[in-house]
Parts: sequence; structure tokens; C-alpha cells
Amino acid sequence: MSKYTLNVNGQVRTVDVASDTPMLWVLRDALGLVGTKYGCGIGECGACTIHLDGTPTRACQTQVSSVGRKSVTTIEGLDPAGKHPLQKAWCELDVPQCGYCQAGQLMTAAALLKSNPHPNDAEIDRAMGGNLCRCASYYRIRSGIKRAAELASGHTPVEGGSR
Amino acid sequence: MKHTSDSPSMDRRHFVKVSALAGGGLLIGTHVLFGELAAAESLAPAPADFAPNAFVSISSSGAVSIIAPNSEMGQGVKTSLPMIVAEELDVAWEQVTVTQGDLNPAYGRQTSVGSQSTPANFLPLRRAGATARALLLQAAAQTWGVPVSDCTTETGSVIHRASNRRATYGELAATAASLTLPVNVPLKDPKDFRLLGTRVPGVDNPKIVTGVPLFGIDVQLPGMLYATYTKCPVFGGKVVSANLDVVKARPGVRDAFVLDGVEGLPSGVAIVADSTWNAFSATDKLQVQWNEGAAVTQNSVEMAKHAEQLASATPAPALPSGAKAVQAVYHYPFLAHATLEPQNCTAVFKNGVMEMWAPSQIPAVGQGLVSRGLGIAPKDIVVHITRLGGGFGRRGSNEFSIEVGAIAKRLEGTPVKLMWTREHDFAHDNYRSNGWHYFTAGLDGAGKIVALHDAFVKMQSGPGDMSANGFPFNAIPGSQVSSSKLPGGIPTGFWRAPGDNGNVWATQCFVDELAHAAGRDPLSFTLDLLGRTSYQPGFDAQRMTSVLKLATDRAGWGRQCPRGEGQGFAITRTMGAYVAVVADVVVSQAGELAIKKITAAVDAGTIINLSAAEAQVQGAILDGISAAWFQKITIERGAAAQTNFDEYPMLRMNDSPRLMEVHFVKSNLPPTGLGEPALPAAAPAVCNAVFAATGKRIRTLPIISESLKWS
Repeated sequence: MSKYTLNVNGQVRTVDVASDTPMLWVLRDALGLVGTKYGCGIGECGACTIHLDGTPTRACQTQVSSVGRKSVTTIEGLDPAGKHPLQKAWCELDVPQCGYCQAGQLMTAAALLKSNPHPNDAEIDRAMGGNLCRCASYYRIRSGIKRAAELASGHTPVEGGSR
Repeated sequence: MKHTSDSPSMDRRHFVKVSALAGGGLLIGTHVLFGELAAAESLAPAPADFAPNAFVSISSSGAVSIIAPNSEMGQGVKTSLPMIVAEELDVAWEQVTVTQGDLNPAYGRQTSVGSQSTPANFLPLRRAGATARALLLQAAAQTWGVPVSDCTTETGSVIHRASNRRATYGELAATAASLTLPVNVPLKDPKDFRLLGTRVPGVDNPKIVTGVPLFGIDVQLPGMLYATYTKCPVFGGKVVSANLDVVKARPGVRDAFVLDGVEGLPSGVAIVADSTWNAFSATDKLQVQWNEGAAVTQNSVEMAKHAEQLASATPAPALPSGAKAVQAVYHYPFLAHATLEPQNCTAVFKNGVMEMWAPSQIPAVGQGLVSRGLGIAPKDIVVHITRLGGGFGRRGSNEFSIEVGAIAKRLEGTPVKLMWTREHDFAHDNYRSNGWHYFTAGLDGAGKIVALHDAFVKMQSGPGDMSANGFPFNAIPGSQVSSSKLPGGIPTGFWRAPGDNGNVWATQCFVDELAHAAGRDPLSFTLDLLGRTSYQPGFDAQRMTSVLKLATDRAGWGRQCPRGEGQGFAITRTMGAYVAVVADVVVSQAGELAIKKITAAVDAGTIINLSAAEAQVQGAILDGISAAWFQKITIERGAAAQTNFDEYPMLRMNDSPRLMEVHFVKSNLPPTGLGEPALPAAAPAVCNAVFAATGKRIRTLPIISESLKWS
């Protein structure tokens, strides 16, 4: 066991865990931040996507000892009030089905919109290709990203439609 | 945003039945409270309910709480079932707080399988809402001294127009709680529905997008330990011995032990640690000597040979003289459910009571397993239903319940979360059975099907058998299905749209094959067949025809396509709903498949929540395509060969069609469910489109196992 001081969602947190512990389990078990999900443990599904210094990263493939001073952002830190354009778009268009993958989808999409505020279909496909959705809510995820891009540039919500 | 009042992260939940709320509110049945009562209190026998249903409570402040009785796994029932109550109660949806019900006989049928949650609950929940509304009307009439027939309701209030009086439901709650329940309360005319049929976003969405605990895996309890349970990779194998001393010496491990001889619990090794990671790391070091048992002789290659022998033992009868024979063999493999949330369950055993947090489709099955296996009376097994990170039929069998129950009983007083690794989840699924169809058909000189025989083979266990009752057999007099079974030993079970998920693929591809053999347009060929279909209970050829015409019309069926592009369609009647799917595909000369557009038409009776209904159709179609395109579990030495998503690919965003249209037939018929019906027709629509594009007929799944190159 070793102590690590981490910067998680803008707060300094100290954990005492085995040095090979993936950030996934540090977040979930040691810090109680269970929004980051376990899906595969081998970096194939994207359910554990977090940001390290703003870069989308697989928490299951990131040992706690490698994080250092990097700033860690989880779904709980994206916007706790749920006002991030992606969170608003996800609710407006009713994107989630079971919802289990959506934290990872949102974190990947948030990084995409930061680097590319108005992605086209091909750019969305490329950026989101690492995130599995077992319910296959892909059609609405794609719509949700486009809607979030609109909301971020000041468009008002549409009434109720998800098509 | 809508609020929900439950969260598995709460330290303790309590379940108190009272006949009126503390503040003088109305309670129809059971109210669920959260608090810090002692466990013994929470499990005390409940006072008799004053109401015949358990779903509605209204406080004097006007807050309306509605119970969601069934398990939410993405199919939308945590939103759509309370909508049914709210419709009849006549309240604004914004007034409603939805609470996930726990396992409780007062909630009726808490079984989320077979697309039955909606059809089974539709009338009971309408009655629950209408009964509460009738009591509120009566309370107002009594208060005002006017006939109840002069009163009416308007989104959360009772009004008496003649005297221009109005009282909110909250103001009337205390009086209503003192009244005798009415019988035979009239229900709304469906044409007056205002909430049902609209788009209502899922009640948990705000929690999902901010990472609030909801799922079974998210349960956290004070002092909780983390467990794995390792079973023999060969199905049915038993532990002989294990290196428990080595495992116990690993960091963070609190205990490790063999469990065997518990009824309903497969033999295995439990490892309990202070974190999930330490439990997983110790599990990696576990070495077990197994008695592998009889299933070790089973493998997929031998099954295929055996299936051919069985099929040849049930040959097709001689064709009518002059008929042209068309024969084809279709095969689909085992599939895993691969819910993205691996199987898990949390339990604590204290003072003779087992309290469980279960992501289960049929929580009563888990309760029964724990009761029988561990000798605990069902009344002493409290089951909280968490949100499920996908179900697809996987979470009905509830092995996780007896596994964690046995561990928690041994660690009396300590909460334990059992976590399956992804590898455990792939290795110990109840797989979709493999299947083989050996078809023989006869076409007469006019291209009409005059004979059809299907020698069908699947595993002994599990659902998915064939009969000659379904389409197209019901359109062809004298058609036959001979069904044979491979020996058991491989666990098989319910996988989204059981039976239809493979059999509709095979039959709908073969019908397309017959249309081409007859030199006919597949659409007019199938419409002719539907026109010839004799009446079968449960199969309405007219509804089937309507959705086929709607989908093909909207998809622009019949357009001329260049080589490498094609359209295909398929139809199914699954779980009572009628579905037609049209696929537009492009196949490059190098054989790369791209699905350009999906057009679906669905007759599912009354639509409860249009948003969830559309999402289920989109998701089920893509799930069907994902499985047919990429997925296969292979059995080698009595075990599953695929261990994770690198070996069991799943549809990703880049392969998902950018255009999807879903059209619902307007209907006042009772609702069907929609978790499953749209799945079976998706894969045959794509395969038929691939044939139209390339001339290549896919008769073995997954599609990626066949080359689609053309020149």
C-alpha cells in the first residue's frame, strides 16, 4: 500500500492503495466516485473514460502511480449541476437507454467538442468509436453531440423532438 | 428536471406500510420511505393496506409519488409504467416523483422479461391511478356537499364548475384517505389520453449524466467488502482443491474459501478483499484443481457434425410432382449477453435477515434461490431492485444472488459486494443456443411455394424451439418442422427475443431466397404469402401486411441500385408486436459492408412513451445487427473460448447507420412490450440487402465469417 495525492475534480484527495491499482478502482472504491464504470478492464469498451489534463483516458488502463499531478476529471466533475451542453442535450433527446456506458460516452464527447466545437458525422464516428453502447443508443448519441454543439453556440432548446 | 427518490448509495433503505402519511396525506397502498430505522423495525410485519394497490401516494403538500414496480434495464419501464398511473390519476408529469419499488408482492408482477412489463401492468396501473382519482373526486364532493358526478379533475385538482370551486389533490388527500375504496372505477377513453403517446425522457437521465449512483455495481455500504467467485471454466465442473493459503496472503484479502454442496450454487472459490482491485488481483493468483465433469467433451465443431446427423435423420417428405426443389442450410452460433455492467450483487446478512441489492430482471428468482440454498424464509430476504446496466435476458437467472448470499451468510454482519470480472461474465453466461435450419422447399411452375420442410436442430436446454405455427409455415398447407436436440451440458437461456432472434433470421432469409428462385420481387412474393396465410391465433396477417407496406413504402422499396448497393427487408411478429425492417446497404468490391439506412415500421398497439418506444426499436435493430454481423461464442473443451470484447466484437458508432426511421402504426389496441420485438427482423433485412447488392447469400452467422468480396 502507498499513499497518493491526486487532483480529482478540482479537489486534492489522498488515497492509500496498491501502486498497481487502476484509477478506475481508486475512483470507485477508494473515493466513492462510482460514476466511472467498469466494463471490460482491458481498454476495449470505454465505459471508464475520464479526463487526465483534459485528454480522454481509460481509467482501467491507468495505474494510480502514473497519474502524479495531472488533473483528473470524472463524470461527477463534468458539471455537477448537469448544465454542460452535452448533459442538457442527453436529457433533452433522451439519449440513455440502460445508461451504463453514458458516463464514458459523455467524457469522450466532451473532449471532442472542446477540440472541435462542430464535428461532422465522420468526425463524431472517429472520436466515439472506442466507446461501446450495449443498448446501441448510437443514433441518439450522434444526435446528442450535434445538439450539444448547437446549445453551446447559443441555440435554444427544441420542443420535445428526438428524431 | 424530474426527481427520483432512490439511490443505492443510501446507507439503508426502509419499507414501511402505513395507511396515511404523517402529514395527513393519501396513500394508496404501500409507501416506501428512506431513513435510519433499525433493520428489525424495517422488517416488522406491515399493517394491512387500506388500498387495493400499492402504487400512488399523495402528500398534503400535493407531492405525488408513484412506484415503478419493474426493473429498469434501458427498456424504459421506470418512466413508462408510472406514466400509465399518472395518466389515469390526471396529474401533471412534473408533479410526480418516481420511486423504484423493491421486491414486494403488493406490486404484482415484478418480472421484466418477455417484453411483458407493459402489457401485464397496463390495466392494473390504469386502475391504480383511476382508483386514486375516484377517491379524490369523492373527497371533494363530500367536502363541498355536491354530487360526485358534478365534479371533475384537471391536472392535480378537483373542480366543481357550477360553484367555481377548486381543491388540489394535496388539499383533498387527508379526506380521501378516510374513504372506502370504490369498485369498478371507470377508465379513461384512450382518445382522451394526454400523457400516453407523448415523448417523456427517462426519469433517471439527470442522475445518469452526472454520475449519481444508480446501478447494482454502484452500491456502497459502510464497512463493505468486495468478493469474487470463481467457478470451473468447464460447465458443471467442481472444485477439488485450491491454493487458498497463497490467495489469503495477497494484499487486502480478508478471506478465501471453497463453497460446495449449497443447493442452487455451482461449486467455486470465494475471495473476499478490501477493494475490488485487490479481490481481482488475488483472483489472478488463484489456482484450482478442477474435476471438470462430462461437459469437457463438448465443442462447437462436433456439435455441427452431430446437428447434420440429426437433421439427416428427419428428411423432408417427397415434394409434389413437378415441384422445383430449393434447399439451404442456415446456422447461427451461441451468443453471450455481454451486458456492459458485469453481473454483480450486494448483500448483508444480519439478525437472521438477508438484505440484498440486486440488478435483477426477476428479483423473486434470486430471493427463491437464496431461500432454498441457505434456508432463509422469503420474508427474511429483503431485495432492493437497483438499475440494471443492461439485461437482454441475462439477469433473470440470478446466480449472483445465491453466490453473494452464500458469501454474506458466512461473513455474517459484513456487507459484501460480489463482482464478476468481465472474463467471468463471458465464461458463465446462459448463452443464446446455437441452431441449424435444414430447409427444403418446393416451387410450382408459377413460382408458388407448394411445400416447405425445416429440419431444425438446437441445444437440448433453453428456449428457442421451432414450430410450424409461425410465418411462413402458416401460409403453406402441409408445411412441417422436425425439431431435434443436441445433448445438454452447455448453459443456454433467454437472450433478447428468444427463438425469434435466430429463427426469424433463417426463415426470412430463406423466404427471400425462394422469391429469387421463383424469379419474383421479394416484396410481392411475401405480400402474396401473407395473403394466403390462414388465420392463426396470435398472427394477424393484416397487421403484418400493413407494417410491411408502410416500411417498404417509406424506404422507397424497388429503387434501382447499382451493383454493390442493395435493399432487403424482413418481417416478424414477436412478443405480440408486428415489425418490418428495410435495410439499405453498400458492399465495396473488397467486401466491406456499410449499412446506410434502416427503415422500420412497428405495430405495437398503444404507445405509452413515444421516446422510449422509438429508442427501443432503434436499439433492438442495432443489437440484432451487431450480433449477426460480429458475434459468436465458440465452445472448446466444454468452455466458452471468447473472454472479452477484443474477442467478441460489438457494433460501434462508426458501423452504426446514420439514417434510421421508425414509423409506428397508430392504434388503440392494448400495448405490447417493445424491448424485444424489433430485433429479429434486423439481421435478415441486412443479409437480404447484402444478397441484393452482391449476389452473396449469407447462411452462416456471424456475417464477418463470410467473404463479401465481389467483382
